[in-house]
Parts: sequence; C-alpha cells; structure tokens
Amino acid sequence: MTVFIGVSGRSLILTAVLGLGLPLAGFVSPAVADEHRVTGEAPGAFVVEDDRVDPNTYEGYIAYTRVCMACHGPDGLGSSFAPSLIRAAERRGWADFAGTIAAGREVQPGQVMPSFADDPYVLANMENIFSYMRARGEGGLGRGRPKIIESMQEETEAPQEGAESDEAVHDEKADG
Amino acid sequence: MLREIGFAMTAAGLMVASLAHANQNQLELQQNPEYWATQLGNYQGNRYSELDQINRDNVGELRSAWQFSTGVLRGHEGGPLYVGDGRLYIHTPFPNKVFALDVEDEGRVVWSYEPDQDSRVIPVMCCDTVNRGLAYADGRLFLGQSDNTLIALDAETGELLWDVSNGDHTVGETNTMSPLVVHDKVIVGISGGEYGIRGHMTAYDVETGEQVWRGYSTGPDDEVLIDPETTTMLGEPIGEADLGVSTWPEGEWERGGGAPWGWITYDPELDLIYYGTGNPGTWNPEQRTKDGEPADNKWAITVFARDPNNGEVKWVYQKVPFDEWDYDGVNENQLIDVEFEGEQRKGLAIIDRTGFGFLLDRESGELLVAEKFAPETNWADSYDMETGRPNVNEQYSTYRQGVGVNTTDICPTAMGAKNMQPTAFSPKTGLIYAGINRICMNYEPFETEYIAGQPYVGATLTMMPAPAQDGDMEGRLGSFIAWDPVAGETVWEIDERFAVWSGALATAGDLAFYGTLEGHVKAVDIESGEELWRFKTPSGIIGNVNTFMHEGKQYLAVLSGVGGWAGIGLAAGLEDPEEGLGAVSAFSALGDYTKLGGVLTVFALPD
Repeated sequence: MTVFIGVSGRSLILTAVLGLGLPLAGFVSPAVADEHRVTGEAPGAFVVEDDRVDPNTYEGYIAYTRVCMACHGPDGLGSSFAPSLIRAAERRGWADFAGTIAAGREVQPGQVMPSFADDPYVLANMENIFSYMRARGEGGLGRGRPKIIESMQEETEAPQEGAESDEAVHDEKADG
Repeated sequence: MLREIGFAMTAAGLMVASLAHANQNQLELQQNPEYWATQLGNYQGNRYSELDQINRDNVGELRSAWQFSTGVLRGHEGGPLYVGDGRLYIHTPFPNKVFALDVEDEGRVVWSYEPDQDSRVIPVMCCDTVNRGLAYADGRLFLGQSDNTLIALDAETGELLWDVSNGDHTVGETNTMSPLVVHDKVIVGISGGEYGIRGHMTAYDVETGEQVWRGYSTGPDDEVLIDPETTTMLGEPIGEADLGVSTWPEGEWERGGGAPWGWITYDPELDLIYYGTGNPGTWNPEQRTKDGEPADNKWAITVFARDPNNGEVKWVYQKVPFDEWDYDGVNENQLIDVEFEGEQRKGLAIIDRTGFGFLLDRESGELLVAEKFAPETNWADSYDMETGRPNVNEQYSTYRQGVGVNTTDICPTAMGAKNMQPTAFSPKTGLIYAGINRICMNYEPFETEYIAGQPYVGATLTMMPAPAQDGDMEGRLGSFIAWDPVAGETVWEIDERFAVWSGALATAGDLAFYGTLEGHVKAVDIESGEELWRFKTPSGIIGNVNTFMHEGKQYLAVLSGVGGWAGIGLAAGLEDPEEGLGAVSAFSALGDYTKLGGVLTVFALPD
C-alpha cells in the first residue's frame, strides 16, 4: 500500500508499507488530514491513496474533464494535437502552468491554447487542475475518475475555493 | 442502366423544375459520373461511383500523382469536390482555409480563401476543429465556418459573395458539418450537444444568404415545424401536441441538444431531406427524467424527414428515447431502393451509433430492420419492431445503475459503433460498406449544472477495446465491413488496429476504398474484402476517399491529417480491461503510429 502526498515547490512522497496489520484508514487519516490542512493553500498539493484522492484533486479531475479534456485528451494524456498536461505540470512550475491558462498561448495559427482569463469556473479551479495533474504524474494516480478518500469527505462541507461543481462531490457522499 | 434512366428523367424534369425551383444545378452535376459534386457523391448519400477505369485488375498499379500540404495541422475530415472545371476544391479544419487547385498543374493554387474567425471558438469545439467540407451549386461554393458563419464564395475567383451567422459560439454553438444545397436553398445544422445548446436545421437562400426557415430539434411543435395531425411516427400521425416540450423535465428542452451535425441526404422524387439529431443535452440521464421516471426527451436522437422548401416535418423516428450512453443519432441516412419481403421499397439505411443497422421506409418512416452490425453491442438486446423502441439491457442502463455508479463494459462506446465517417452503397452488390469502431466503455453519470458557454456533460467515461471473438485481430479497435441492409447481416469484415474513421467509397470497378488512422488508403475487392492495394499517406485518415474523371483519366483523392474525436480519445491508447485502474495500456496508442499534418493525395494509374 502506498500513500503519496505531494506539496508544491517541494515534493514529499511517503511510501508506507502496511505490513503492520493496522487498519488503513486509521493509519492514514490523521497524517493525511494534517498534511492536507497544512499544505491546503499551496498550489499543486495532492493526496493519493490507492487511487483515491483528496477532495481538491478530485475537483481538479472534474474541472479537467469538463474544460480541458476536449483538447488535452482523457486523463491528461494529451491528444493528437494538444500536449499531455501531466508532462506540462511536471516541466513547468505552478506560475507557468497558471500563466498559460490565464493568458493562453498561440503555438501557430490554428493551434491555439485559448485564454481562460474570463472564465471564473476555470480560474477558480486552476489549483485543483494542477493538483490533479501532479497526482497523475508524481502521485502515480491511474486513469479514470478517482474516488475521494473517505476520511477526507467531510472537508467538502466547508466552503472551498472554487468548488462551483461540488455537487458531484455531494452526490458521491449521498451515494457512498 | 439506372443512371441512364436518371439522365433522361432529369433532362425532362429540368424545364419544369427550373420554373418551380431556381436551382437544379447540383442534381445535374452529381448525375455525371465523372464529377464528385457533393461530399457524399450524390443526394442519396451512396458514395458510389460508376467509374471503372480503376478496377480490381489494375488497382495494384495505382500510384500517387501529386500531393498538396494544406499547412493546417488538425483533423482533416470531408474531401475534395470536382465539378468538371479542372480544379479540386478543398477545405481545412479551423481556420477553414479553402483552396482551388489546378488538376492539370499538379495542384497549383488557383486561389485560396481564409476567413477571419474568433479563435475563442476553438475551445468550445468538443471533438477537434474538424470541418466536413464544401458544398457547390451554380458557380458558388458554400462553407460552414467553425464560428457558425455560413459563407458563399465565387468558385471562379474565391471572392466572398455573402456571409450569414447561423449561431453563437459564446454559448457553445459551433459548426463542423458540410451544408447541402437543395433547389435554391443551402441547408445547415449546428454542433454543440456537449454545451447544452438547442439544435436546429436552417435553410438559407443561395443567392442572398437570407434565412428561409429554421426547424428546431426540441421545443414546441411550431418551432420544430411539426403538425401532430399530419407528421407521422412509424406510419401513424403523432397525435399528441408539443412532445418536444412535454417529454422533458421543466425547461430542460431549452438546453436539450439534439444537434444535427452529421450529413443530410435528399430524395429528389419525394422532395424530402433526411438527417439525424444528436444527444439530448447532458449525458446524465437522471437530469432528464420527468417526475422521477425516464422521459423520451424528444426529438433528440431522431431521424427527421423534412420538406426542404419550408422545413415542415413529414415523419420522425426516434432511435433512442431517453439516451443513457451519448448515442448521438446523427449518422447519415443512406437512401437505397431495396426489395424487402418481395416488395420494392424506397429504403433508408443507417449504420447507427448504437451498433444497430436500421432499414426504414423513407416514404412512410416505418421501421423494417434493426439488427446489430457490431456484434459486441449490449446496451440493448434488440428493437421492438412494433413500438420502434430498443429493448434496453438493465445491466448496461446507466440510469438504472444510477448517478455516481460506474456502469462497466457497455458496448459500443459513446463514440458509437460508427461515428461521422460516411458509408458507401453499391447498387451492384446491394451492400453497404462501412468503417466502424470496436470500442466499449465504462460510464459514470454525475450531477452537472448548466452554465451558458461551458460544457454540459455530466458523465465521465473510460474506453476499452471491444471483446474479440475467435479469429478476430487481438486488441483491434475497428473494422471495415460489408453489410446487407435487408438481411441485417455482415457479409465480410476486415479487422483494423484502430477505429476506421474515414469515409468509404464503392465503385463500378468492383472496388471498395477506405482510409485507416495509421494513414493507409486501402482498396479491397468489393465481393470478398480481399486487400488489393494500399498506400501510406503522411498522417492518419479521417477524411473521405473521393473519385472523379478529368480528361478521360480517373483519379482518386483523399485528405489525410489525423484528429477528430479519434485523435483525442485514441492518441494515448486505451485502458486494458484486464489490467487494473492505472495500468499502462497494452493496447496500441495512435500517437505511436501517426502525427499531425493535412495533406491531399491524388492518385491515378500510370499513363
């Protein structure tokens, strides 16, 4: 069992081998919750635990799928015409990643990354998208729609920055 | 034989017709077998050529005569037109350049045109910035730009004659389709089903660009142009009024999609146009229920037969009421005359997104055949031929499984067992030739909120190769098939590594042609499917293989340039269903085989 916690600027990756007979949730939640709170403000923070993620990274997946996937392909993998954002998040820092979303980029006529500066939904979710991409890269998160780490669910009760589409999260909860 | 009769009838009909309708030029042109005057070859959508200079005995010698780079990188759908003036007319994806190329001078540019468009349209195009091509009539070329501007160009000079706005990209409306000229009208639909738009089909005057009629896909009858007393459904009057409103939860029809972005076909004798409408807005079926029960969401995923003169609806057939899989119903309606149960019928055949091959009577709209052409199809077991409704398999019902539940192994995928790639029909064999997709999906609906101009999807999906049977190519994602539309059976099938996303061509030279996503153009024996020739173009093919004759020489021409939904969904490869979440795909990634770049390749036999 592996737990990844990434923090922007530096990368803290904890690999815990759970041969200890401890219940997973009991072992992970306090540490994860603490870590999450401490680094919650830092762009690109993420928690990956057995292909489950923290609520912000989950929001990043939803926002990515809504807004970015049509060009950048499923799960951040890139398409025939637009690059993988997993790689982009790795190679470019937060400032460059956010700057490109805000300002756009014209590679050549017809191959254009549009500016999302006038899209409040995207602006509010930039950090979450960055978290999701780093979770996909450094965090080793798999393809497809991740589930939210159950012990971190209640954090979605608190108003989140840019969580305009957190109805999806609520649905998860209602269902789970 | 048939064609000769057609000529005679046209000649006789022209005098009268020219009084009633300003323009029969397109009909005249397409009846000349030397021309390829409309994207689907003829109004019936048959993509069949009488030319037989290139045939199964000599196709092995076919070679590239010249190539032309369009200078545009993204997905090149559609194909070149040839109307006998020594030029090929081609188009590109956004920025939608148009070129007139000299056939006698290896594609020298006679003129080119490039519209000035707002690049903000690019991110609201769901599935690449594709465009399915030009239409032509009477010295004018018509093009639907990405930003919904419909333009008419002087074919001689490339000069802009008029332009008109058919939609608003700031609310997610875009254009990818090729317009169709019927009489003195140019008819065009709209894209944007993933943005909660309200689909419509609109006719404009070819001379002036003035709007003549618009028929919506959803909403009250007077806006859909339905009369419930006279418009029929499965041969009977609809009866009930305003089903386009009452089969939706309150107000949802206003963002109900039904975008008709595929091909339009036309029957000149019945004077009816045919097209299909797309998915009903959000992919989350829960948000389209009424009083907690599934609702039909009319008239999404519906075949419309309309009078091209005023837009009035003659009949409708809803292929998928209450969609739960994004089975966008836009696939082209091939108009074919068939013998069905001992009777001659005016047929309409569809190789549908759903994996079912339909045959309808195009005069009455009655359903005659509904059989699976993609055997892995499992969302429905069959169609009820009385009600015309699918017998949905509960296990694969994303509504029954519920919001937040990942319904797995549904076949086909939302891409459809066939997408926009148009099919061909040979009157000699009576068979339809189709490039198809062999891909399945997991689909998880979630609650989503409508915000104008933003995606209104409400489901996530992952895709995987369809299960292979004994003898199939392992991990294949596509096939090219010969389909008997009356018997409802596949006659032969060729497996391909990737989805076959190019338009097919059938010829009197006993050949069928298609392109592959790796970039091959292939010629196969129309009887057996045996491969007789192939040529590797520089990029994957999502365009259509067209043919024409100039100065006594038959040519074949195709646009290559990978992209489209295939270029988005398949570029990085699919997940291996046998591996867990996050496993590295064991299946081929399109990106390992081909890269971007639009090129027209023209082929001919050596002198």
